[in-house]
Amino acid sequence: MATEPATEFALEGPAAFEEEAKRAKVAGLGPWRLAMRRLRRNKSALAFGALFLVIVAMCLAAPLWANHVAHTDAIKNHLTDTVKVGGKTKDVVSPDGKPIGPTWHGRFFLGADTNGRDIAVRLLYGGRTSLTIGIGAALITALLSVIFGVMAGYFRGVTDAVISRSLDLIWSFPVILLGVALGTALALGGLKIGPIEIEGDSKLIPTLIIAIVYIPYMARPIRGQVLALREKEFVEAARAQGAGPLRIMFTEILPNLSSTIVVFVPLMMANAILLEAALSFLGAGVRPPNPSWGTMIGDGVEKIITAPHLAIVPGVMLVLTVLALNVFGDGVRDALDPRAKLHLEH
Amino acid sequence: MSKLGLRGVLLALGVLAMAVAAACGGGSSSSGGGGKSGGSIKIGSVLPDEYDPVMFQTVQANEPLQLVYKGLVTYKDAEGTEGNKLIPGLATEVPKPTNGGKTYTFTLRKGLKYSDGEPVKASDYENTIKRLLFLGGPFSSFATSIKGATEYQDAKKQDGDISGITADDAKGTITVNLTAPDSQYLYAAGLANQAPTPAKKSPFKKSNSIPGIGPYTISIQNPSRQYTLTKTSGFNIPGISKGKVDKMTVVKESVPKMTQDVIDGKLDFMTEDPTDQLAEVKSKYKDRFREDPNPPNTYWFFMNHTTPPFDKAEVRQAVNYALDSKALQRVFNGRLQPTCNFLPALYAGMGYKKIDPCPWGDPNGKPDIAKAKQLVEKSGDKGMKVTVWANNKDPRPAIADYYRDMLNQIGFKASTKIIDQQVYFGTVGTKKTKAQTGFTDWFQDFPHPNDFFEPNLSSAALSSSPVFNFEYAPTPPDIDATLKKLKPQKPQDASDQWAALDKKLIDNGDIAVYGSELSTSFFSERMDFQNCSGVHPVYKNDFALFCLK
Repeated sequence: MATEPATEFALEGPAAFEEEAKRAKVAGLGPWRLAMRRLRRNKSALAFGALFLVIVAMCLAAPLWANHVAHTDAIKNHLTDTVKVGGKTKDVVSPDGKPIGPTWHGRFFLGADTNGRDIAVRLLYGGRTSLTIGIGAALITALLSVIFGVMAGYFRGVTDAVISRSLDLIWSFPVILLGVALGTALALGGLKIGPIEIEGDSKLIPTLIIAIVYIPYMARPIRGQVLALREKEFVEAARAQGAGPLRIMFTEILPNLSSTIVVFVPLMMANAILLEAALSFLGAGVRPPNPSWGTMIGDGVEKIITAPHLAIVPGVMLVLTVLALNVFGDGVRDALDPRAKLHLEH
Repeated sequence: MSKLGLRGVLLALGVLAMAVAAACGGGSSSSGGGGKSGGSIKIGSVLPDEYDPVMFQTVQANEPLQLVYKGLVTYKDAEGTEGNKLIPGLATEVPKPTNGGKTYTFTLRKGLKYSDGEPVKASDYENTIKRLLFLGGPFSSFATSIKGATEYQDAKKQDGDISGITADDAKGTITVNLTAPDSQYLYAAGLANQAPTPAKKSPFKKSNSIPGIGPYTISIQNPSRQYTLTKTSGFNIPGISKGKVDKMTVVKESVPKMTQDVIDGKLDFMTEDPTDQLAEVKSKYKDRFREDPNPPNTYWFFMNHTTPPFDKAEVRQAVNYALDSKALQRVFNGRLQPTCNFLPALYAGMGYKKIDPCPWGDPNGKPDIAKAKQLVEKSGDKGMKVTVWANNKDPRPAIADYYRDMLNQIGFKASTKIIDQQVYFGTVGTKKTKAQTGFTDWFQDFPHPNDFFEPNLSSAALSSSPVFNFEYAPTPPDIDATLKKLKPQKPQDASDQWAALDKKLIDNGDIAVYGSELSTSFFSERMDFQNCSGVHPVYKNDFALFCLK
């Protein structure tokens, strides 16, 4: 499973939009409005975008379901409890350890896990965890990638060499291996940098790990684009008018990178959610008992023959979310620049 | 030369006579009961942690290695309590201690040869003990009762001397002097890690190719994928099973796959418990599946007496009141037998006496959460953060989660920390970790009550690094003096005193015992389940007893 975005690109910023606008005889429309117009025409991208929003809304509603429907939380054990299903009283977990399957009622709607925890509740809270980490990591990756990519591309020379070689160093490790190594090491002692201290079981740890391992995948294309942009006439003109590097980066370079960043973010989110699931599955991501789709799949694998729903249900949610983000991300890319070659390799 | 030649002839005659005697009289008993001989079988396993006889630790290693490396004394190849009996191995007899219980003298059988053809020498035993101590094998502490062993270990010189062991290669005698009388010494000597191996071919570093002497020889195709046990031709030591199956191929597989393969007949046996499919296996294949309390074991939660909140007796007692063994039974797929004794029920007659009533409530009854809450309130530590430690081997994470949930119920803010099983005990045993509480268990190494107390609860278990006493304090406080008094005596002679120590430990509530686990044995249809399932109290399954239909 290759989850890294390909680095091939040919985005050319507002110039490309203008050219496209002329070609489409819709002069007068700005590039963003033009993109929105194109996106609205892409029904499948919109449908999957809507699906993603539905999943987010469901996960945000987790406390409502937990408190008012399931009457439990995501980590409460119900090993010796019973539940009424169709007028019959059933063990949540049978004396020989088999958890109850889906009841299709409020309590244990999707069944229970080996500790008698409500799968539906864990699924919703797990989704919050996966989405929070995925979105958080993608945003941190985007922020740091822009900083490093712009600095390396604009200043070139020593700055570029130091940043590029550091990114190469991270890139030289397979993403999963680096994630597992960092996750395992930090889970025990946590992270302490000066006054900042993060506990080993904090969700910030997997968020930061995922964010860091993906920086080269976004920073390098940005650097390449900045290298080209800094030689453009409008940058020369700004320089001739006496604008300093910081001003040029903010007013001339960054606006021309915006479409690249917007295209990258949903794709990064999908990758980050997948990596979070992989790390949690391997025990190097979200720490138990906190649910995430990855930890739920990991827990369910042990019971895959007798209680397959334990792994299948979070697996399906993960697939739907990543699929939704990828299709929507592709739609955004096509809308912003139909000629862009930025895509995910599978 | 002529003398040697004559000795060779005499030796050959002696060996021949022994073989005839075994063939005539000892055949059925030495092969451990009925059942057909011959054929090949395939076994699924998670494979040994180590193949070096002084370095292994796991049941999956002990099962094959005890067939390859027989000690001066060994355990009878028999099911149930019979399997606890020590019988002569490479020595002619099980020695009786002299010098007030401090000296044991072994005499080697004549004409013994290792699998590489090298003759067995008396001095090889000292070399084995040196390797065990020098390499710091997991069972090295069992050899420290030998005089000079600790000094040898501290000196860290492989060619140093262990003053307590003297050997006469010519006469084939080995004399072992202990620092103090210790009735468990012989039981430890019966394990594969104290089996003599040829000094010339036993380097002072980890090795997978050390010759041994036993009913089978091992050939490792890939340490992490596959090994083969082949019957040793000509192996004939009266009393020790020669094995029935000619060849056993042991392969690595995941538990769900090995379970399915045993069902389908692609594997003939699995060393693991079919956790996920247990209920199905139990009901559909009861003609080839069994559960057994052997090997004896105990599961409990350790509580660090030196770290809050478990430095307070009230908190430790609260945990005991709140324990719900019925809930834990479900986590164990029904294989947990609730108890509050530390010594397992199989130690009846050598230390086990059912504690009745249990001071913290009936282990088969409901927990007293209200009482536990009161005690936590009284301790003043209500609301304190607690980390529950466990490893990632199924069902340990689920056990830890049950415990976390229970601690939250009685007033703490608990979370779990699950780490890899390979590093788990080393991590919680490192003082710097300050592990507050967590999962631990103990499966007997040899049938002696001291094997449960000393390695887990004594001061001696605090002196190693990492420590194995996760309470971080002698528990109960006077345990060392009691062990000193009881160790020289045969466990059967001091049964009541061991039972009293067990009761004292439980009455204090210093640890939270919740039960013993039933082991499982699952065979293919090809195997003679009725006659040859071979559940053994020391080895778990004695492969030498396996046979085909």
